[in-house]
Amino acid sequence: MLTIHRLVKRRGSRTILSGISFQARSGRVTGFLGPNGAGKSSTLRILLGLDSATSGEALINGVPYARLRNPLATVGALLDGSGAHRARTGRAHLNWIARSAGLPRSRVDEVLAIVGLTDAASQRVGSYSLGMGRRLGLAAALLGDPEVLILDEPVNGLDPEGIRWIRTLVRERAATGRTVLLSSHLMGELAETVDDVIVINQGRIVADGTLAEVIDGHGTLENAFFALTTPNGGRVAQ
Amino acid sequence: MSAEVARPHSREFVQALAAELSKLWSLPAVWLTLGGSLILNLVLAAAFVSAGLQDLTGTPNALDIGLASISYIQAGYIVLGIVASCSEYTGGQIRTTLTAMPRRSLQLIAAHLALMIVVVPAALITATSGVLLAAIALGDASAPVELGSTVGILAGVTGYLGLTTLISASFGVLLRRTLPAAIVVLGYYFIAGPLLREQTAHAKYLPDTAGLAMWFPQPGDASALSPVHGATVLVAWTLGAFVVALAVYRKRDT
Repeated sequence: MLTIHRLVKRRGSRTILSGISFQARSGRVTGFLGPNGAGKSSTLRILLGLDSATSGEALINGVPYARLRNPLATVGALLDGSGAHRARTGRAHLNWIARSAGLPRSRVDEVLAIVGLTDAASQRVGSYSLGMGRRLGLAAALLGDPEVLILDEPVNGLDPEGIRWIRTLVRERAATGRTVLLSSHLMGELAETVDDVIVINQGRIVADGTLAEVIDGHGTLENAFFALTTPNGGRVAQ
Repeated sequence: MSAEVARPHSREFVQALAAELSKLWSLPAVWLTLGGSLILNLVLAAAFVSAGLQDLTGTPNALDIGLASISYIQAGYIVLGIVASCSEYTGGQIRTTLTAMPRRSLQLIAAHLALMIVVVPAALITATSGVLLAAIALGDASAPVELGSTVGILAGVTGYLGLTTLISASFGVLLRRTLPAAIVVLGYYFIAGPLLREQTAHAKYLPDTAGLAMWFPQPGDASALSPVHGATVLVAWTLGAFVVALAVYRKRDT
């Protein structure tokens, strides 16, 4: 369970988040949508303890990230990029993460196999394609077999097979009672994957409900998204 | 679930240290810098031996000649400290580090300790190899060198290089980018420090000059710091730099 409560983030005179609140519940996939600069990444970074909040709370199972005793077993996170130094091999990157949690090397081989990087494990990360970098980031997120997955644009750079694989992965995680928070720009993809939808725009939550509730009256998630986040409802000028 | 089982802080620290050692071990720049420093030190030591043999004004001393190159190859250790810290900011690795090890003080202490574990043996090997090369090359031409003082001075060089690496690592944490950090720290050690040494007597308390006292004693200068006093001053600078870096690191959005 993820709880965001009256979260405020200011940078200088700019307000990034103006007191947002929402929850991502266990056993469900929650889609987190918003245009670029809406505050999605800031929210996720505060949730992961990377950025500090000006006020309010971001809690994982009731605890701020920095107080988690076994972070990798609790939360698996994928942010933009691979999160790895380009001069290291993929396996070396996962090895050091595994060591930080006392996980065996065999677990590194397991996650490399899960994301389909076994053959590329000895290559330097700098030689990876965008999609391989995302797979490496996912492998790191899955290392501790976490209760919660927080994935920012996970399908970026993945081929259709990879996109389907992610969809199956997150559905399986939710089916076993785990929590998944997923941000994406791909509305069609999200509509196929999520149970609940949070829409953020200009640092405020503009919709929060089940997929059916948010779509209600708009026909599709894409129509609902534009109606909620653009002044003219996303209509293209003729 | 496993997440609810509390991990003792001691085990968390040992695991963080293992992770930080694994990071250093798997970063090619670390081995290039250390290996490059070792080779360059031997080349420079050979050159100083050659110059010493041609100097007809006095008897060459294997210890002095073997360590003459340290002032130059300290650049390698400065770069190593900076690279170790700044490598976190390549490819967004810092976010992986802080999600895996969210207690920032514990993580940064582990990272600095790991750096010491790698640097101390490397510095000892580098310094000893230079002295050995000089002793073998000079042979009977060397003035007699006392074993006790040699061990003390090699320990001083090792400590100096280790602490200088840590100061550089703290600057790397503060500045996050390799080139600006290298310009600031190398600029201090190779330009500002030597200039200040000539200008003011208080310069003996600056980190480069105080560190020099650890392995290059000036018996003729009554006002110079003793090796122990120099080491104390350099440890204080190292701790000061670390405390400032940690304070910034703990608060920073990443």
